[in-house]
Amino acid sequence: MKHAALFALLFLAITASAADLRDVKDPAKIKDVFPRTAKLRVINIWATWCVPCVAEMPELRAIHAAFGAEVAFAGVSMDDMIPGAKRESVIAFLDRQTITYVNVYYKGNADDLSGYYRFQGEIPVTIAFDAAGREVWRHQGAIKSASTISELRTILRRLP
Amino acid sequence: MKKLFVSILLLISAAACMNADELSIGATAPKFSLVNAVDGKTVAFKPGDGKVSVVVFTCNQCPYAKAFEPRILELAKQYQAKGVVFYAIDPNDESQNSIESLAEMKARATERGYSFPYLKDGDSAIAHAYGARVTPHVYVIDGGGVLRYRGYVDDSAKPEERRTTGLANALDDLLAGKAVANQSTRAFGCTIKWKA
Repeated sequence: MKHAALFALLFLAITASAADLRDVKDPAKIKDVFPRTAKLRVINIWATWCVPCVAEMPELRAIHAAFGAEVAFAGVSMDDMIPGAKRESVIAFLDRQTITYVNVYYKGNADDLSGYYRFQGEIPVTIAFDAAGREVWRHQGAIKSASTISELRTILRRLP
Repeated sequence: MKKLFVSILLLISAAACMNADELSIGATAPKFSLVNAVDGKTVAFKPGDGKVSVVVFTCNQCPYAKAFEPRILELAKQYQAKGVVFYAIDPNDESQNSIESLAEMKARATERGYSFPYLKDGDSAIAHAYGARVTPHVYVIDGGGVLRYRGYVDDSAKPEERRTTGLANALDDLLAGKAVANQSTRAFGCTIKWKA
């Protein structure tokens, strides 16, 4: 009985991670993590080693919390671009930051990603797309929750 | 109609701003005179000195720049033997992180055996002049002082995943007396910590 309780506790500890981190190699497949029902789809490209990316995490958490299911969020971690990077470190970071939206552990080429999403190699960058995949909003650099929430709400109202 | 005109004007001015930030291929490279953290002496780069030169914006704190450090050291060794001159410049504001101080730069360059000067661009003025955005960000200048390549070292910091080697290709083209085939690439890395 005692063993069973210990095992249950251990199981809970192992599965306590809230982070949903999915491996993606092809930049074009990142959009597949979004639910089809979302009207607005927001990606945030970041890395644990990027100072402004880390600084904006509380803002992203607040932005995510401000919307319901019609706005879907996905982080795209570029940690794997550095030799020796550990996937577990990204999960631990997301857990510490209590980030609950899905994150992609990007395993492709850095240049392919910046080419696909048309940014000049600087992160963070945050981009919003409509359900058809058209870019409707973009912010380069660290974002602020109040202005971003307001801007995304305006865009959301205009979407069909 | 008025809206369209305003939109076009905005687009034109945005494009102009972007161009103003980037040193164009074919432009004369900005000269600089900066302190070498290793020995405290001033090093001057005078574009048009007849030598092919590589200017690398890098730093002490960025993991992506550090991941490229062995590769830059390897390329420097290989191309210095062919007469190419390398300059590493740290443009980060040390007041934001003391790891970018002259003492820390000297420690890093000494420990890693830099075969080129490691220069402090304390007010980020030279990074601004070149239009550097990130570390690492590299520029190749021909003997006449003209910018012939800007962008990444390679397209991947992982040697096994490397497909394009921007810096080495540019140097090979220049040293062979040819036009650089791939003149501009997207440098990826850590945003420069600009002096406020």
